[in-house]
Amino acid sequence: MAKEKKVRERVNWRKELHLAPGYIILSLWVLFTFVLLGWVVVASFSTSKEIFSGQVFKFASGFHFENYVKAWNTSNVSVFFTNSLFYASISCALLILVCAPAAYVLSRFTFLGNKIIQSGFVASMGVPATMIVLPLFGLVAGWNVLNVSIANRAVLIFLYVGINVPYTTIFLLTFFGNLSRAFEEAAAIDGCPPMKTFWKIMLPMAQPGIITVTIFNFINVWNEYFMSLIFANSDKVKPVAIGLYGMINSMRYTGDYAGMFASVVIVFLPTFILYIFMSEKIIAGITGGGVKG
Amino acid sequence: MKKNKTMIVAFLAPAVIMFAIIFIYPIIRTVAMSFFKIEGVTDAVSKWQFSGLANYIKLFNTQLFRISMWNIFRIWLFGGIIVMGLALLFAAILTSGIRFKSGFRAIIYMPNVVSAVALATMWLQYAFSPKFGLFKSIGDLLHWKWLSKFQWLDPSHLFLALLVAYCFGMVGYHMLIFASGIERIGTEYFEAATLDGANRIQQFRYITLPLLKGVTKTNITMWSVSSAGFFLWSQLFSMVVSNTQTITPVVYMYQNIFGAGNSMTERNSGIGAAVGVLLSVCVVVIFIVCDKIFKDDDIEF
Repeated sequence: MAKEKKVRERVNWRKELHLAPGYIILSLWVLFTFVLLGWVVVASFSTSKEIFSGQVFKFASGFHFENYVKAWNTSNVSVFFTNSLFYASISCALLILVCAPAAYVLSRFTFLGNKIIQSGFVASMGVPATMIVLPLFGLVAGWNVLNVSIANRAVLIFLYVGINVPYTTIFLLTFFGNLSRAFEEAAAIDGCPPMKTFWKIMLPMAQPGIITVTIFNFINVWNEYFMSLIFANSDKVKPVAIGLYGMINSMRYTGDYAGMFASVVIVFLPTFILYIFMSEKIIAGITGGGVKG
Repeated sequence: MKKNKTMIVAFLAPAVIMFAIIFIYPIIRTVAMSFFKIEGVTDAVSKWQFSGLANYIKLFNTQLFRISMWNIFRIWLFGGIIVMGLALLFAAILTSGIRFKSGFRAIIYMPNVVSAVALATMWLQYAFSPKFGLFKSIGDLLHWKWLSKFQWLDPSHLFLALLVAYCFGMVGYHMLIFASGIERIGTEYFEAATLDGANRIQQFRYITLPLLKGVTKTNITMWSVSSAGFFLWSQLFSMVVSNTQTITPVVYMYQNIFGAGNSMTERNSGIGAAVGVLLSVCVVVIFIVCDKIFKDDDIEF
């Protein structure tokens, strides 16, 4: 880190010239990304007519916030959005409750089956969803609960949590493994029972790891598609990804392009905003935890 | 010690039980289902009719399934070459000491965090649009007639469009993995090489690449896993024109089991299960082959 800072003090033009091709390549890619996203945002404030004549940047007829109002109110976006927010928050909380204790035990104690559980979790991250979806659907459909919206919601949350259990546990496991054992030893000497030590001392200390993995889980649940498509039975319980798919399907016939782009922006905004504030943490989480996965 | 035992069980139970319900039980049942003829997904085991390998044989005799396997293979191979090539190039540039490194890195990774449905919609409805699309605008700007005239969403070009859009979003993730691998190589190797007169390209070829074996293995495995589950992009792109260019095995399975009014084959959940098993076998084979090719050496990090 210190070394990097020293280099940055003065612009070394010869070095920068050497790197010019690199700058050009990356800048073009970044520019493309900006235009792709930026145009959609701009188009969402314009009208379908302006979009078709290719005049979105002129705002000839002013800003059209009503696209958002319309998408939010009439196309069910508000329902899908609240659903996703609800699913994602509950699932994230449950995931920590389920996985943090398991990860702690797996990282701290040697017992029969520890290695097997760990390898099972790692292996399951490579299992395609097609491999598990049929029996799960059979199970849930057999209970005949998908017509009750509360039960349907519960099923979705259970699935979101279950699918992400292996990843969350393995991520937290490496995190707990890096915490010093001295804390538990000190607590034990003071007479604190192991379980209490976990909840009172170790879990709060794992907070950075918990935050990172929760961001990942939130993004994963928010963007989950395949399971939701199969298990969300009615418009009332659909998350945004599925809802958006249905909306695009219908908007192709109504031709309301401005409204469609407004819906697209609403759907990608939450994870996008999360990313703007947390990008360093997210990237560190991938390169730190994911490499040996 | 006794206390620890109850703690281990109590702490592990929720996670392990969920894991068993969501992964172990379904995997075993799917493998079993693939050898039976099953009318409905919810049918009890007593109604299953054992049919041996008939489901697999039927799949391979179904032209649409063969096309879908060929499509996913093309995505895996060509997409893999494009994505790995770009990811490695970007990672090399990022670690070469450029400024705004974290800014570049964050923006290139960004498509991975936004909803893929939203991303695919942007590509389909905007970037590839023949009337007001991004590529048309670029073509107009540079006076490249072939680019402005190119019909991305034409049935014959749809696969190319899908590949471009999908790869664009995937580069960032694999770039991060490569970049972290490069950063872990000790600077003393490059210093020694510089003293011996090796230029940057030679250093990349003879030091960086051989030391990236481990992360390359990770990248190929992750790429294969995401290819095996390839569904969303295929479904959204197939919606534009119904043709077989962009169908993948998961979409085939979905339409067969859950699709309404689809009369491609008779209703048989066993076939859907066989699709899942075949895809999993592909992932395992790729993993084993990768393991053999990129054997961990002593010089590995």
